[in-house]
Amino acid sequence: MCNHNRKKDCFEYVDSQLPRVPLELVVNGEKVYELIDPTMTLLDFLRNNLKLFGTKEGCGEGECGACTVIMNNKTVNSCLVLAVEAQEADILTIEGLSKGGELSILQQEFIKHDALQCGFCTPGMLMSARALLDRNPDPTVEKIKEGISGNFCRCTGYQSVIDAVLSAAKREREELR
Amino acid sequence: MLSKFAYYKPESLEEALSYLEKNPRTRILAGGTDIMLLLRRNVEICEHLLNIKGIPEANTMSYTPNEGLFIGAAITVNEICEDVGIRKRYPSLSGAADNLASYQIRNRATVVGNICNASPGADLAAPLLVYDAKVHIASTEGNRIVEINEFFAGVKKTVLKENEIVTGVFIPDVELGDNSVYLRKSRIKGHDLCNVGLALRLTPEKRLLMAIAAVSTTPLRLTELEKSVEGKEITPELADWIVEEIKKYMNPRPNSVRSSAEYRYHIAGVLIKRGLKKLLEKEAN
Repeated sequence: MCNHNRKKDCFEYVDSQLPRVPLELVVNGEKVYELIDPTMTLLDFLRNNLKLFGTKEGCGEGECGACTVIMNNKTVNSCLVLAVEAQEADILTIEGLSKGGELSILQQEFIKHDALQCGFCTPGMLMSARALLDRNPDPTVEKIKEGISGNFCRCTGYQSVIDAVLSAAKREREELR
Repeated sequence: MLSKFAYYKPESLEEALSYLEKNPRTRILAGGTDIMLLLRRNVEICEHLLNIKGIPEANTMSYTPNEGLFIGAAITVNEICEDVGIRKRYPSLSGAADNLASYQIRNRATVVGNICNASPGADLAAPLLVYDAKVHIASTEGNRIVEINEFFAGVKKTVLKENEIVTGVFIPDVELGDNSVYLRKSRIKGHDLCNVGLALRLTPEKRLLMAIAAVSTTPLRLTELEKSVEGKEITPELADWIVEEIKKYMNPRPNSVRSSAEYRYHIAGVLIKRGLKKLLEKEAN
């Protein structure tokens, strides 16, 4: 057992040594089947088991949104979802946004508008923005603010993020029609 | 995750209830936005985690005219936000749902989970209180219905027994012309717990109903205060009177991290005035 065990803010994943349970799901379009620890979070599963390190752990408590992924077309904080809850789910992470080595329009616009500095919140921010544009291809500034309300950024001050999403929405409407 | 627990996701209510009966120290998992934190911080050590999202009853949301609205235990807060019927009939419920935490949290968090967690500042409690919601509870011994006003027993405590599951919450139907508002004050606009949450409802017969959250050990329905204003016209003078009177029912923590008790007393008054004004404006339209 890890001796961090009683520490409140231990970010280290500890194997509970409980019997493994089967988990079957689709991650970024690919079928995944693994036997996992039932106490593992979806975030730990994506990072530790699938080595998808794009999804970040910030607070681990659903406050910051750095771990946001899209589960069955809805954004979730993957730190608050058990991996077993994602049974048969369809998961999209930041790694699934680009196609054939080319960045998606949304990603391109984030770069163009300097919508990131340190980049730690960016994967989560992009997933929230992706889900928003999927349900609303022409969002107002208010709707964008609501859509990214669960994603904290401590560098950019959000304005450039909002600009990037507005611009990506416009391009997507024109180019992907 | 550090706690060790067995995980079980039943497909029927019967299976869930018998699992709960057989396994003491089972915690129920719906949205998970509260329980996951407790498990992570080791505040809560549970041996069994029972996921109720596979139960058909819990996934039901149905409105029956003249009867009311049933919200199953697995219905998420965002499902409430998106429902136009609820926004029309129970505006304060939609208002509170809109303001609960962040978009991602609302995608997971459930209405029933919000009241079962029994936080004194539960956003959805105040609107459910002014609509006299009924909590539907099931166990292997049978079903029972508890008035929401008798459901909360203290900070993070409810009248639920260890072998019971809340299957959903029922809100009686409203008549045409019924109106309500939800107002809250938090440190920041956006993802934050509220300092004060207030639901006001005005029935077509001009009965004023009031409930307030985050100012005592449980969310409060202000029944006595309602009685003392019954039949009176809502005027600025009456509003001033309520602002003073409501303080008698409040018992805010003096050492909260979010605000001082004095601030909560003050802001409750501000919200009362704003809320009454909003209700009257809505009525005029």
